[in-house]
Amino acid sequence: MEASDRSDDFIPAGLAAFGIEADEIELAVIGAAHQTFWPPILELLQLDTSQVPTERDPDLSQAPPSR
Amino acid sequence: MSEPLDLTLREQATAIAGGEVDAGELLEACLERIEERNPALNAVVETFPDRSREMLAAAPAGPLHGVPIVIKDEWPLPWRAQRFGAAEMLAPTAPGESGPYRALRDAGAVVVGVGNMHELGASSTGNISVYGPARNPWNLESCPGGSSSGPAAALAGRLVAGAVGADGVGSIRYPAAYCGLTGLKPTFGRSAMAGHHMAGISTTIVSGALCADAADCRLLDSVLYGEELRAGEPEGLRIGVIRGEVSEDVAPPVREACEGAIEDLRRESGGEVREIELPELAAATLATVLIANSESLGGVTVEKLNELDPELSPIGRGLLKYRVLLPAIATIKAGEVRTMARRTLAQVFEEVDLIAWPTVPAVAPPLEAPLVELPSGTVTADEANVRGGALANLTGIPAISVPVGSSEGLPIGLQLQAAWGRDELLLDAAEALERANGRRWVEALPPSARGAQTQKA
Repeated sequence: MEASDRSDDFIPAGLAAFGIEADEIELAVIGAAHQTFWPPILELLQLDTSQVPTERDPDLSQAPPSR
Repeated sequence: MSEPLDLTLREQATAIAGGEVDAGELLEACLERIEERNPALNAVVETFPDRSREMLAAAPAGPLHGVPIVIKDEWPLPWRAQRFGAAEMLAPTAPGESGPYRALRDAGAVVVGVGNMHELGASSTGNISVYGPARNPWNLESCPGGSSSGPAAALAGRLVAGAVGADGVGSIRYPAAYCGLTGLKPTFGRSAMAGHHMAGISTTIVSGALCADAADCRLLDSVLYGEELRAGEPEGLRIGVIRGEVSEDVAPPVREACEGAIEDLRRESGGEVREIELPELAAATLATVLIANSESLGGVTVEKLNELDPELSPIGRGLLKYRVLLPAIATIKAGEVRTMARRTLAQVFEEVDLIAWPTVPAVAPPLEAPLVELPSGTVTADEANVRGGALANLTGIPAISVPVGSSEGLPIGLQLQAAWGRDELLLDAAEALERANGRRWVEALPPSARGAQTQKA
């Protein structure tokens, strides 16, 4: 089964797992947000970052040190 | 002399220092103007005349002595906790001396009011707020931009000559573009941040100025940075442009104005335009949103989420709950994308001085339905705007939005980005661009701000 096919279950199951209540309007908002965010999140998870060196607690005021 | 309230920020400061303008009279005139113009704009959500007068009475000599400033509802004041544009914040808040407040006070400025903002800082449009939306002075039915909607609308409506915002994912630059202003997002960590409810947690948010032009931003940002941002003469600027969504999936008038402005800047500085590549840009946009969302969850409990204030908008409530469902692995990946993007940018900034693209791909959409028409189709303004606004927040680099045109009576903004710590170069470039176009766009006034000057003309 494709990951995206499971998204209909994801929201109610996820909210229930946390014990988070949501009314119909909130569920509609969550559904719209999920439609926007989930496909690119799945793409992001496909990104091979195995060669990316870890930058712990980066100093964002400066360029990365190994430039 | 023009009406003192219509002077630029630096002119107000100079006129007060030189005794040509009485700071007390300026403050009272400013309060009167807010009373007169604000009902249409809803830019300023609270004034406190006695506090402002006390601030003026105690104001030290400084670069902004006696100058009225509006500050976004994101920064606590000693007499007022920030509300973040929302009926409820999940983080604890209290009145206090925020970094921007202290910087303004120590520079002699007078906080004259609090600027509206998009609820919880969660949108580029400004169309939702516990106070009701601020309105764009160029068209009262259009979005002012967010999340620093009130500071931008107050500035564009010439209620004040300087305003302080905050930028976590484009929140100074979007409203600057929509309202025809200059807005600088500083290098991460360079501007005052103390007292923000996410200080020490957020890796994207900075304070910054919204002003009519770059010289005013230089003055106000120097105060927020606690150091003088010296002016220079940019020569031979190497301007980087990229092909792709952020520069091409753009409404034709915006694209034309921005391409024209890039050419103006190239010519003015005797520089060149180079094509560059930023392969991580699309992933960087999502990464920024994921990181900003995860950082905003501090202090959240299931109990709080189940007892949200019903006055919080349904969109705000729904998004808060959705954030909890975002997987940790995505946020970890986002951190890796941040590393990749920072490394790529470090290499790119060996080749170019600036990166330029439209701040937002379309002019301000209607408040009632913030959708924009792009060559690829109709999308929400948020979805479109974040493509160009997020990179600077993810990586820490400075960025500025500069007004460069108009379409349908609404302003168009060009974004310039530079390497870490080169904030001054952005101001220099913005001033060069102003010279190149004869200051046409920084001096343009919206209808609601033309009254006094038209009568005097």
